[in-house]
Amino acid sequence: MGVTSAPPLQIEEAPISRWQIVRAQLGEKGMLVFFLIPALSVLLLVQGYPLVYSGYVSMVDWTLAKSPTPGGFVGFANYTKAFSDTIFVGAIQTTVTFALAATFFEMLIGFFLAYITVGESLFLQISRTILIMPMVVAPVAVGTLWRMMFSARAGLINYGLSLVGIGGPDWLGNPSVALTSLIIIDVWEWSPFVMIIYVAALSSLPTEPFRAAAVDGASRWQIFRYITLPLLVPVTILVLMFRLIDTLLTLDIVYTTTYGGPGFKTHTLSFWIYQQGLRYFNISYAAATSWLLLIACLTIAIGFLIWRGRVLARQS
Amino acid sequence: MYDERTSSLLNILNAATRVLVILLSLIVVSVPFVYLFLNSVKPPQEFLTVPPTIIPTHLTFEHYAAIFDPNQDTRSYFINSVVITVSTTIISVLIGSLAAFSLSRLKLPFRLSSLIAFAFLIVRFYPKITTTLPYFILMKDLHLLDTQIAVIVAHVSLTLPFVVWLMLTFFDELPRELDQSAMLDGCGPWQRFIQVILPLTTPALLTAAILTALLSWNEFLMASSVASSNAKTLPIAVSSFITDKGVQWGPMSAMSSVIVVPVMLFALFAQRYLVRGLTLGAVKE
Repeated sequence: MGVTSAPPLQIEEAPISRWQIVRAQLGEKGMLVFFLIPALSVLLLVQGYPLVYSGYVSMVDWTLAKSPTPGGFVGFANYTKAFSDTIFVGAIQTTVTFALAATFFEMLIGFFLAYITVGESLFLQISRTILIMPMVVAPVAVGTLWRMMFSARAGLINYGLSLVGIGGPDWLGNPSVALTSLIIIDVWEWSPFVMIIYVAALSSLPTEPFRAAAVDGASRWQIFRYITLPLLVPVTILVLMFRLIDTLLTLDIVYTTTYGGPGFKTHTLSFWIYQQGLRYFNISYAAATSWLLLIACLTIAIGFLIWRGRVLARQS
Repeated sequence: MYDERTSSLLNILNAATRVLVILLSLIVVSVPFVYLFLNSVKPPQEFLTVPPTIIPTHLTFEHYAAIFDPNQDTRSYFINSVVITVSTTIISVLIGSLAAFSLSRLKLPFRLSSLIAFAFLIVRFYPKITTTLPYFILMKDLHLLDTQIAVIVAHVSLTLPFVVWLMLTFFDELPRELDQSAMLDGCGPWQRFIQVILPLTTPALLTAAILTALLSWNEFLMASSVASSNAKTLPIAVSSFITDKGVQWGPMSAMSSVIVVPVMLFALFAQRYLVRGLTLGAVKE
């Protein structure tokens, strides 16, 4: 392309009045506010309004099967009722057991997987890509997949066990095993999440402290214990928070594997609320219990974020 | 390459053990998937034999044929899933990045911008079951139950936090001089957004789009509450196998495979973007 010198552009510099500037700024700001409106309206319509509405509904007496409109105000009756409901209290125990056990093993396995797969070689990258598959596919599909794996008669797990002479249990049907099976599924599904976060965290650690420690002749264990681990505390708190909250809300895999059974052995809180609300249409009762769960989640979130803030402040 | 940051523990495990452990974990992850795919091409009579047939004696695609049979509902569930995922992705990325742009450029009084950004973030932290019930009632009152629109709007609300926060971090990093020089050229906010800002953040947009598509395609709770038959998506359809259809492993596996395979291919080719989206917020890059 040849370079031709274009004639200089004639720019007419019109004098800009103060009014024009004010108008331009107003237009600018107005336009930017306008940009916010679509996203904000969706958020308010689907999350904000329902949140407030469920708070209101949780304090009235309303069962959709009996009446199409909310009944009278009952205060915190729905909340107190929940705590004398043995199935609900059982669901709390089930959920807490599930959440603590699943989170514990996910953190442990996820961290270990991150430590052995961190790196840029092709083998490690491909390994990581395969390892994240359980967390990217639909949780309901994970459920159906493990229903077949865990099937007592025709499942792969018990077949494998029978080859070495072990009679496997009815993983999803046996009351004393079902919750453990759900924990195994969740650990299989979500350890990769912990892994990818630790991989990212490990690869973005600053190099200087490690060089310095190596120069000072620190042993490998000392480096790991006194440099790597402390630097990973903030991200650990964050992953712990995400996993605790998400395991407390587990629904999809329960729905597609045990459906809360056998008996009420795997009724998690989310599943219980789902049943109350969308199956029996005990709207107020479901709303009240869902608020209890919400308060628990937000408490965890706030607590962990404050904890993380303190750790970060201490480290800097 | 020797890296002091990770070498300490790695040398404790020697290289061979390490590769062995990685291979073992790859097997643990892959076997259930392989089993699923094998089941989806297994003839029906081979499902309940004892001991179970692991490798089918011959391949059959009848379960897939049943899913894509024009007279079957599953075909429409598949179409619903595609329509809802595509619409959600387009809408969420568009209005989410617009909002993020606005939040990063707008100076509102009382730190309102930060408050609004925080309002988006908080959606990530509370149980969706709390908002699902009232949303169900709202859609019932608006006569929108069992429509694709009800599911799309729900999915947009669930994915917006991810889009807004992802784009916000990127927009905040873009130098303001870009805006200012475009402003001097007479570009309004809309022109600047489309012509200047967006082209510079294509990787971020892609990350947001991939994450949104994934979340929408997989979502169960909200879709199951508002879509009981006509607007059913694949995850809802596959979940109903446990309740009303007894043991139908063939169709169940085929449908699960249809849900799982596109996502796996997606993950394979877009791994970088996906991982960046999934680790969003936890680690600063």
